[in-house]
Amino acid sequence: MTVKCVIWDLDNTLLAGVYLESGSQPPPPEPVMLGAAATLRGRGIIHAIASRNPPEAADYAAQATGLDFAAAECGWDRKSDAVRRIIADLDLSPDAMAFVDDDPYERAEVSFEVPQVLVLSPEDMAEAVGWPEFSPPAVTAEARRRGEMYAERRRREREARAFAGSRDEFLRTCGTEVTIAPAAAADAPRLHELSVRTHQFNTSGEPVAEAELHRLIGSAEHQVTTVRLRDKFGDDGLVGGCVTRAGQDGTWTVTLLMMSCRAMGRGVIEALLAWLTGSAARGGARALAVPCLISPRNVPLRLALAAAGFRAVDGSPTPVFSRPLSGPRPEVPGWVTVRPGPPEPGPAGR
Amino acid sequence: MSAPQAPDVAAELREILARATGRDELLGVSEQTPLFGDGVGLDSLTGTLLLREVHRRFGVDVAAEDLNLDALATLATLAAFITEHAPARPAPGP
Repeated sequence: MTVKCVIWDLDNTLLAGVYLESGSQPPPPEPVMLGAAATLRGRGIIHAIASRNPPEAADYAAQATGLDFAAAECGWDRKSDAVRRIIADLDLSPDAMAFVDDDPYERAEVSFEVPQVLVLSPEDMAEAVGWPEFSPPAVTAEARRRGEMYAERRRREREARAFAGSRDEFLRTCGTEVTIAPAAAADAPRLHELSVRTHQFNTSGEPVAEAELHRLIGSAEHQVTTVRLRDKFGDDGLVGGCVTRAGQDGTWTVTLLMMSCRAMGRGVIEALLAWLTGSAARGGARALAVPCLISPRNVPLRLALAAAGFRAVDGSPTPVFSRPLSGPRPEVPGWVTVRPGPPEPGPAGR
Repeated sequence: MSAPQAPDVAAELREILARATGRDELLGVSEQTPLFGDGVGLDSLTGTLLLREVHRRFGVDVAAEDLNLDALATLATLAAFITEHAPARPAPGP
């Protein structure tokens, strides 16, 4: 598993000194650690803070290092609790986290309590930049912007908490736009990355190689679709995709469906399922089928399928969820504007 | 020890739903209102919050036991599913 997020201690780790012992001039960033953090940011790895300091220390660290921190836990309780809160807050898996601290006690405590986390001293971290754990295979535009996008998410969530009305009313004020379009060859690296990184919204649980995606995008029997998301807080880029095959028997099958959990709760999966059913119905299909691996991690996807009227027969590790296309079809949530992408290329159409 | 009673469970579910969606009016939602679609409008996020909280409070993992999530049809069906599947929990004190 490659690391998606590095959780930094501040004193004598990311900062070259102790924040509270430095009087009016807090310590500057530690140059080797800052270099490592900047390199990792370029690979799409995000950063977070777990520090025994007042909350201002996180603001200072962000300003002094120029890094976006996706989460910051400042306080005096156990580091393992801070690490657990960051994992929950970012909705990542513990084995996608690294923790860097100069204090051997803190490292031992986190290792003991959350053993899946990769725990490193600053010396280890300087070297670990070259390890495969810190080298995600595809570095896409979305990956490079990941830290910023988490910062946008924090702004969106802060505003949502301050908003007096309901969640739906808040989302309505966000100007959410979902763009659904056929995939182009240039989308293959990001679609591959989504196949590796998504778990909560993924029907297969298997990575799909870039070469295979190129083949599917060029195949006349398959339709590869991309989903992009933006709102007034920022542009999340390509957040989802699916591969569809039209069967001779009147059933269209979605052989792969995946979406970033960043888009969760913003109407995107609902918009995609509504679009898919509409598109299959217009294409003359009588039913739409979605084979979906059953795992405790992709329950959110099953909820979306259930809400859109899909049902499966029990008895297989990958049951096929399907729904007829006659009668009322699922609707796009009222706060989402769906924009069609560019027209289909090629003479065959779809 | 006694199993949870459906009316208490429904009241607790209303609380969870109101918190997950930020809609206080759901505190008064009828047991027969559909949870998906026009009724409560449960989606993948609010649904996940609801299922996590049900697992935590009642010890019932709905997603593991109900492939099609039929238990989420209405508040009444969910409360019935929980009372049927819940391990007995300590009776309230005197």
